[in-house]
Amino acid sequence: MIFVIAEHKDNKLKSITSELLVFAQRAGRDFGQPVSAVVLGENTTSLAEELKSKKIDRVVTIDDPQLAEYNPDAYVEALKSLCEKEPPFLVLIGHTTQGMDFAPRLSVALRRPLIAGCVEYEKQGDRLILTRQIFNAKMNMKTAVRGEPPYFATASPGAFPGDEVEAGGSAEIVPFSVSLTAPGRRKLIERVEAPKGKADLSSAPIIVSGGRGLKEKENFSLIFELAEAIGGSVGASRPVVDAEWLPREYQIGSSGQTVSPKLYIAIGISGAIQHLVGMQTSRCIVAINKDVEAPIFKVAHYGIVDDLFKVVPALTRIFKDLRQA
Amino acid sequence: MKIVSCIKPVPDPASRLAINETKTWIKDQDLTFVASEADNYAIEEALRLKEKHGGEVVVISMGGEESARVLRSGLAMGADRAIHLRDPKFKGADEFAAADALATAIAKDGGADLVLAGVQSDDLGTGMTGTMIAEFLGSAHATVVVGVEANPESKSLRVRRELEGGINETIELPMPAVLTIQFGINQPRYASLKGIMAAKKKEMKVWSAADLGLSDEAAGKAGAMYEVKEIFVPERKSKVEIIGGSPEDAAAALVEKLKKEAKVL
Ligand SMILES: Cc1cc2nc3c(=O)[nH]c(=O)nc-3n(C[C@@H](O)[C@H](O)[C@H](O)COP(=O)(O)OP(=O)(O)OC[C@H]3O[C@@H](n4cnc5c(N)ncnc54)[C@H](O)[C@@H]3O)c2cc1C
Ligand SMILES: Cc1cc2nc3c(=O)[nH]c(=O)nc-3n(C[C@H](O)[C@H](O)[C@H](O)COP(=O)(O)OP(=O)(O)OC[C@H]3O[C@@H](n4cnc5c(N)ncnc54)[C@H](O)[C@@H]3O)c2cc1C
Repeated sequence: MIFVIAEHKDNKLKSITSELLVFAQRAGRDFGQPVSAVVLGENTTSLAEELKSKKIDRVVTIDDPQLAEYNPDAYVEALKSLCEKEPPFLVLIGHTTQGMDFAPRLSVALRRPLIAGCVEYEKQGDRLILTRQIFNAKMNMKTAVRGEPPYFATASPGAFPGDEVEAGGSAEIVPFSVSLTAPGRRKLIERVEAPKGKADLSSAPIIVSGGRGLKEKENFSLIFELAEAIGGSVGASRPVVDAEWLPREYQIGSSGQTVSPKLYIAIGISGAIQHLVGMQTSRCIVAINKDVEAPIFKVAHYGIVDDLFKVVPALTRIFKDLRQA
Repeated sequence: MKIVSCIKPVPDPASRLAINETKTWIKDQDLTFVASEADNYAIEEALRLKEKHGGEVVVISMGGEESARVLRSGLAMGADRAIHLRDPKFKGADEFAAADALATAIAKDGGADLVLAGVQSDDLGTGMTGTMIAEFLGSAHATVVVGVEANPESKSLRVRRELEGGINETIELPMPAVLTIQFGINQPRYASLKGIMAAKKKEMKVWSAADLGLSDEAAGKAGAMYEVKEIFVPERKSKVEIIGGSPEDAAAALVEKLKKEAKVL
């Protein structure tokens, strides 16, 4: 059995859930394992109905008032109990803030392997081989889990094509009841959305974005000058914001803004996955980076592999000349 | 408050990484190691909490000489003492084995009110270790933390966590607790010359696997839950067009292409 732990919010399945289902449907076929979606929460009927429409074998619901709000203690206790009662082959969880908040605890609680941030899997003989990215996506690592199942894996968001999930199942809905012993130790006080601020880049047609390659705050003027010459807006990677060169509202990426301009110029940005998820749907991506192996070149359409301190002023000059012409 | 801050040595981000002969790890002999970036934020947060509430900050690391080096930099920033888990048997640990050793050492040192780890490391970067330490210690935890307020009297913490899509949540949890600290929570201080001098006199405990009472099956590679089959540089499937020439020529050619080919100007 392969379990997919469905992630949901406000009574809606999150996109990672479909991605996990694709992973599970493929692995299920390869390893001859049935697939179950597992949904934890309170009043999960509508979610279970939606999951039931996919081509899977079962939907397991774990309904409990203590699961109404996500909390790691209750999740670990409930899932541990399920995995002990019906030992699965593989448990798939999202490599999301929520998934990575409880998966490591679950793996230790059951003393079974967890491979986090998987982007691919394969079958070698009857062994499960999982691949993940290391060194900020510069390299990949293939790992083989050791010992008996269950095995735990989290999948990186975007690694599996969620829109390829097969529909048309007739899964039965099976409630699993747990008696959660201890109340969760965490208490939610509040949840707030970060203020948007004035740098709303979501509709900017051209964005010139700078990263840590700029070395220091003062050098960021190079980015502003180029942006002005080209008639674009300025964006930044996270370290730039963390170092307080620019306010948080300029940050592009998983914990910043998502943008898709027609032109995105990434300057001195390595292209970490958390940055890529915020900009990779841009129509044309240009990368200026002195390191030819920087992962930003995997998504870029045009690249210049050279020192930004030489390339950027040259570019700015050309655009200034064009304007005057 | 007693705060333990974990520091993982990682290759200096500017280094060129080469894969070893067996293709299972990088060649790490000639590399310079520095503290994994998130760990600097964790130590800084530990020092600020100590400045506010008193107590001590202990830095801990598992690894060889490179761990001694990052521990000394933690001491130079202001930590009170260090614990170095050093033993050839620790080599090849995965997150599980690393967390087991770190948690065992923290317990042996008398436990802690607060354990801080980085949100993820700069090398393997899975972000599991801190959360696993929490489970080994049986304490509460919170991940991706961007703000901490401690209340030592009531033994409780109020922390702000970063969720996806720019949403932050504030939660309360009891101490002892483990927190994984997100980049940007503060501005880490640099070690002063005085700090560097003072660090030389500070205590550094060195513990082996036997000192921790860890069996040979639990430490390092033997205690790992998975085995590395291969590490490799992924094939680049993209269609990136690298524009060569002098910076001036490349810039000019790029502008031409953006106008004529991509038609985005
Ligand atoms: C097969 C294999 C072989 C390996 N061989 C080596 C090797 O030869 N040499 C080597 O140095 N590493 C080696 N490692 C790395 C391994 O020991 C890592 O420390 C461990 O896997 C932690 O994973 P992570 O970096 O993804 O941690 P994350 O969970 O991403 O790290 C988060 C935080 O946990 C804390 N942390 C993690 N590890 C340590 C540590 N060791 N000490 C203190 N704090 C820590 C830090 O605060 C860090 O910021 C190997 C790993 C594997 C799987
Ligand atoms: C939970 C979480 C959320 C995150 N959210 C985000 C997010 O929303 N947005 C984000 O951006 N990151 C985010 N990150 C951080 C992310 O993992 C990376 O650390 C970050 O994107 C790296 O920024 P960078 O590319 O500017 O810096 P680095 O990775 O340091 O890259 C600098 C680049 O500049 C190049 N360079 C240096 N000097 C020169 C020169 N003279 N000329 C040309 N090139 C040069 C280098 O080759 C290198 O590729 C998040 C991380 C975590 C753990």
